Amino acid sequence: MTSMKILIVDDSITIRRIITNALKTVGFPDTIEAANGKDALEKLTNANVDFIITDWNMPEMNGLDFIKQVRANPIYSSLPILMITTRGTEHDVIEALQAKVNSYIVKPFTPQELKEKIEGILKTLQVNTV
Amino acid sequence: MNQQELDGILQKAADLKVFCEYGQRTVPVLDEIASFVRKITPAIEDLRAVVEVSMVNIPKAANQLGRVTQATEQASTDILNTLDRMVATLDEVIGSVATGMVSSELGAATKKMAAIVKTLVDKSGWDEDIVKLAEAWDLHLRSMRMSGPTSNLERLLKDLQNDCTEIMMALQVQDITQQHIGAVMGTIEAVAGGLQKLTNGFFGTNTEENLPQLSNLPEQTEQENVGETERKKMVESLLMKARAGQL
Repeated sequence: MTSMKILIVDDSITIRRIITNALKTVGFPDTIEAANGKDALEKLTNANVDFIITDWNMPEMNGLDFIKQVRANPIYSSLPILMITTRGTEHDVIEALQAKVNSYIVKPFTPQELKEKIEGILKTLQVNTV
Repeated sequence: MNQQELDGILQKAADLKVFCEYGQRTVPVLDEIASFVRKITPAIEDLRAVVEVSMVNIPKAANQLGRVTQATEQASTDILNTLDRMVATLDEVIGSVATGMVSSELGAATKKMAAIVKTLVDKSGWDEDIVKLAEAWDLHLRSMRMSGPTSNLERLLKDLQNDCTEIMMALQVQDITQQHIGAVMGTIEAVAGGLQKLTNGFFGTNTEENLPQLSNLPEQTEQENVGETERKKMVESLLMKARAGQL
């Protein structure tokens, strides 16, 4: 179990619940949710978020624009971001990586896959900061 | 009438002759065009009817797809609610099994015995034999908790809980199908837009105001026709390249 607070950004309530439950089963019970990028930016300012999991296709502000806004803000620019999306073309992945997403999962995913990705990102960030 | 005037009349007569000859040549062509127009008019009317019907039916089809998405989302929410309750119940049962308190009678008896042993130890002034009895009782309790049927039950319950998680994860299909339906709806909207332009331009009718509008259509995304495993491999390969600074 870890006390890391994870912000889940997805317009589908089903997917938000699935990610929340999956995170619980792999030891990340502390989560908050947002329905789109705009909502997520507000949540970021009001909660001490340690990690972001975001979808791409969302109304109001999509995931890619949200990531760009997060990276443009010096306070959150180094916040780890994992993108979970149905968009799985090579072009999509490259676009997300260019927006400086830390890692990428194409739906459907398993709790184990989610855990490995999160731990992988955290490990990489630790190595880079040492 | 002088020569000059005569020449003028002759010139006009020549011009009239050319015009008449031209008319003789063009009249059959104009007749053919008129005949062609008469023939294609019913076809154009048929096409207009088809387009107008399509303009009404295409948005209807898109709305029906939208309702499919809503229905599956509602079903997914209901299933998730049930699974949440099942997982919570299983948590409670696993907790009871893990502490060896499956039967309330067994639990009450165990607690009573534990209290008696503790009193005995206290009253005996930590008599060596009584302390040994307390230690033996403690060992007995531990072995009871780790006994075959109980630990087996705990394992089975955890398996059930894992099954619940798997069902939950399988519900991702709702979101995935929603995205694909969104792409189809995007295509339908494009076709409807094309037909609208056709009716406005070709038939000179503006059907835009009378037609139901497709709203809130998700963005259409082009997806490569590859399997899940191949796609995940591709993603990992790109992530590795990005980490190595090769993107």
